[in-house]
Amino acid sequence: MHRVLIIDDSSATRAYVRAALEEMADMQVTEAASGFDALRILPRERFDLLLVDINMPNINGLELISFIRRSETHRDTPLLIISTEASERDRSRAIALGANGYLAKPFTAEALEAAVKSVSKQAV
Amino acid sequence: MSQPQVKATKNYAPEPTEEGGVREFLAFVVASETYALPLSCIREIMRVPSVTPVPRAQREVLGIISVRGQVTTLIDLRQRLRVPAGPTSSRTRVLLVDQGDEIMGLLCDRVQQVHRLSEKEVELASVLGADAASYVMGIGRPGQGERKAESTAEERADHDSEDEILILLDPIALLKRQVNHG
Amino acid sequence: MVSGKDGERAKEEFLAEAQELIEGLSRGLLELDTGIKQGQRSPDTVNDLFRGVHTLKGLSGMFGFERLGRMSHVLEDMLEDLRLGRVELTQQVLDVLFEGVDNFQRLLGDPAEQASVDVETFSGRVHGLARSKVKQHNILEEFELDASMLGVLTEYEEHRLRTNLEQGLTVYRLRVRLALDVIDTALDSLKERVKNLAEIITYLPSMDGGGGDEIEIEMLLASKKSEAEVRTALGRPDAKLSSVERRKTAAAPKPLTAATPAVTAAAAKESPAAAPAPAAAVVAVKVEAPSAPKKSAAEGGDVSLRSITSVVRVDIRKLDHLMNVVGELGTVRAAVARLVERLRAGAAPALSSEAHRIHRAFQRHLAEVQESVLDIRMVPLSQLFDKVAVVVRQVAREQSKEVKLAVVGAETEVDKLIAEELADPMMHIVRNAIDHGIESTEVRTKNGKPTTGTLTVVAHQKGNHVVIELSDDGRGIDSNVIREAAVRKGVLSEQAASDLTREELLNVIFMPGFSTAREVTDISGRGVGMDVVKTNITRLGGAVDIDSEKGGGTKVTITLPITLAIISALLFEVRGRLFAIPLAVVQEALRMPSQAVRTVDGREVITLRGTTLPLCRLAELFALGPIADDATEHYVIVVSVGNKRLGMCVERLSGQQDIVIKGLGRSLAGTPGISGATDLGDQHLVLVLDAASIIEEVLLPRAGVLAVGVAT
Repeated sequence: MHRVLIIDDSSATRAYVRAALEEMADMQVTEAASGFDALRILPRERFDLLLVDINMPNINGLELISFIRRSETHRDTPLLIISTEASERDRSRAIALGANGYLAKPFTAEALEAAVKSVSKQAV
Repeated sequence: MSQPQVKATKNYAPEPTEEGGVREFLAFVVASETYALPLSCIREIMRVPSVTPVPRAQREVLGIISVRGQVTTLIDLRQRLRVPAGPTSSRTRVLLVDQGDEIMGLLCDRVQQVHRLSEKEVELASVLGADAASYVMGIGRPGQGERKAESTAEERADHDSEDEILILLDPIALLKRQVNHG
Repeated sequence: MVSGKDGERAKEEFLAEAQELIEGLSRGLLELDTGIKQGQRSPDTVNDLFRGVHTLKGLSGMFGFERLGRMSHVLEDMLEDLRLGRVELTQQVLDVLFEGVDNFQRLLGDPAEQASVDVETFSGRVHGLARSKVKQHNILEEFELDASMLGVLTEYEEHRLRTNLEQGLTVYRLRVRLALDVIDTALDSLKERVKNLAEIITYLPSMDGGGGDEIEIEMLLASKKSEAEVRTALGRPDAKLSSVERRKTAAAPKPLTAATPAVTAAAAKESPAAAPAPAAAVVAVKVEAPSAPKKSAAEGGDVSLRSITSVVRVDIRKLDHLMNVVGELGTVRAAVARLVERLRAGAAPALSSEAHRIHRAFQRHLAEVQESVLDIRMVPLSQLFDKVAVVVRQVAREQSKEVKLAVVGAETEVDKLIAEELADPMMHIVRNAIDHGIESTEVRTKNGKPTTGTLTVVAHQKGNHVVIELSDDGRGIDSNVIREAAVRKGVLSEQAASDLTREELLNVIFMPGFSTAREVTDISGRGVGMDVVKTNITRLGGAVDIDSEKGGGTKVTITLPITLAIISALLFEVRGRLFAIPLAVVQEALRMPSQAVRTVDGREVITLRGTTLPLCRLAELFALGPIADDATEHYVIVVSVGNKRLGMCVERLSGQQDIVIKGLGRSLAGTPGISGATDLGDQHLVLVLDAASIIEEVLLPRAGVLAVGVAT
């Protein structure tokens, strides 16, 4: 069972990711609608994969990644960021902060699946 | 005043919905003819409930009925199909039909059975000429498909007089006329 | 593409979210518009707009809305340039943005609307707007900012930081400990407090917060005020505040590209009472959650929906279903009441009083549930009025007129369905008011009027109804002009037209055939005339009136029931058939012997306490069958809507009841005089009459405002 946490302030994106992931085998998806939600959820549960949207208000994705990589539980958890193609700079920062990969919006369900698989293997 | 009813679905289409071009139709009798509607547009078959007439509605509207809390318009198929009036019986039924925007009730004399018609068994309405009513989609001849495959021309000629024909109706054309008068 | 039930749900989420985003964009643009006129630039609003369009772009791509995605991309580029300072915010730029948002709305509409959007042309226009060069100097290196902090700022946040420093504001670091559970509201209240003094650039969660329930948040703020002032405004003695200093020695930066540093000479940097780097131990303080922000009472209830996490989006079909169930429960309750009666009459008085108590409790709770469900469906009219503001601006600019919109009572609530159905009629009325009502600035000046025309929208609740008045101070309607036009268009004969009073003439505007084909220009390209406006409003169970004097402005009054759902009704019989009419329109009901009926001018009337009351024999109106000749007594139900009254002759009164009105299907929606049906139990449906439409049909045939009858 793969426990996945999707952190994105767009409910449509979360619904889309959930639908796409649950078509893959053995996926259990938890949703966080904001950086704050994520801060509440992360210490309480252990996840196998984290999907983080960079462009959120208040606590942005970069700050969240930095926080996650300094925490005990999720220091090494595979982490995929969701960003737009335009923001090259933000993306490279995210990788520098410890993200394992990125997925550019808009992405297809197939692209999501491929990215998830590759990142899960990577961070073993 | 219109409140939204539970949204009728639009996914019935004149195209074949199953493999091999076979479609299912529900046959029913009005006056002495047998008609049929695509099964996919039929939501339910029910006995005739209490009908409340609506003053100044169109003549074919018998009134409204309550279907699990939804107010549903009931149409007298005899009038709609311009067939003489007749008595109701214990076999009179209401067909609940989804015409795309709304689910409406159609009063018929007797419900028959479901026929599965292949493309060979359906003749399109164009064969009836340009002034055929717009709600007639075609003519169905159940059983003809197999017969064509198996029999000789003579045998087929013999069967012609016995063949059952179904007058296939297009639910949207049959019912859309009712929409939004006034 | 995702598929199946989850996929469908995701798609519905998308449509709902897209709609909300577009509404948010509209509001944001209106704020910018007001801001420009007052000489303000609002970076936060521009940023919010950028984020909104950015989100829309991403979503469109995922759900296959390709043109919407391209359109968003175009606007996103524009907004990015705006927020990074590469383009100046002018009226022209704003116009383009408004058009863009309007295009979004169309792209989510029906195929005809979608086809009306030309993405390429629009894109060309956007790219034609001028841009300036990007400034290069990196002021950030001159300040003592942690590399680690800088490293987690997004490009935009960095830009804001830079801009603030360049403009000479002081940047502060604020550290505060908050309980995770209430972090959203706690930060919101902090934001409220510093709103007027500082811009919040970013929030950083810090690891030093310790485990479990609390977390430390570090914020970067930019402000012109001194540290002491900021500290006071915050009102949190436990918070650590320090300012970001310039580096003492010039750090060796990466080679700069040659460009002029854009430090504003005039802005003097406040000398902060610099606090040293915060000491290790931070006192933990529990934050009590402030109560959810209430909508402000008067106009300007500027509640940003994003910060209220207590809002839930509900599918209105679920509410309809809930209403149905509540309705069925009502029927059950009535059955229980009858049972209690029988028990009382029977042999078990002890049981009966307990049953009675239980029934009362049931009734109370049921009423509460009813009210709650109805309440959930209510939305404030402000949603609608926001859209009106956009249209006012657009039409005024199209016609080069100056128009100001004043809104009172935006917090008045109506059923969501009513609000939605009202949108088109209101847009049309507003358009008319500006098109034909408000004069050009020259004409206004010549007539001694202020150059800016005023459109006033007032909404208030009156009993079971909501009244919306739209008035303008324009040129008013000359009833003689209407008279001539009506005759010319063949809507009325010369003779009929000359008989009409001013009030009746004004109502001619609502007649089909009077609105001309050239009024096809509209929000969505659909032809809308005043006759359609009236039909739409009447269909909701409401009424629309118009009052105007030549030279004296025009006022359109729309009256609507607050809720479509549960109402108190009066039941009565005609020709043995049961009907219902909402109690809200019933003034009184009385017995009337037939001898008191007189005929005046072809119409039957009676005298009621000295005034004349016209009558209507429902059995005749509804063609229900022959009149029994031995009927010597009728009941008369006096109904009134607006300022018109009518006495409906019926045979028997059958009591009062709370009913749930259900609409007839679209197939019967045009049936005159009927507003719906209700289930009284046992699946027996009773028709509910539409008093407004009956009154019209009976009282105004001379002005030709007949409800469109259907031939039997």
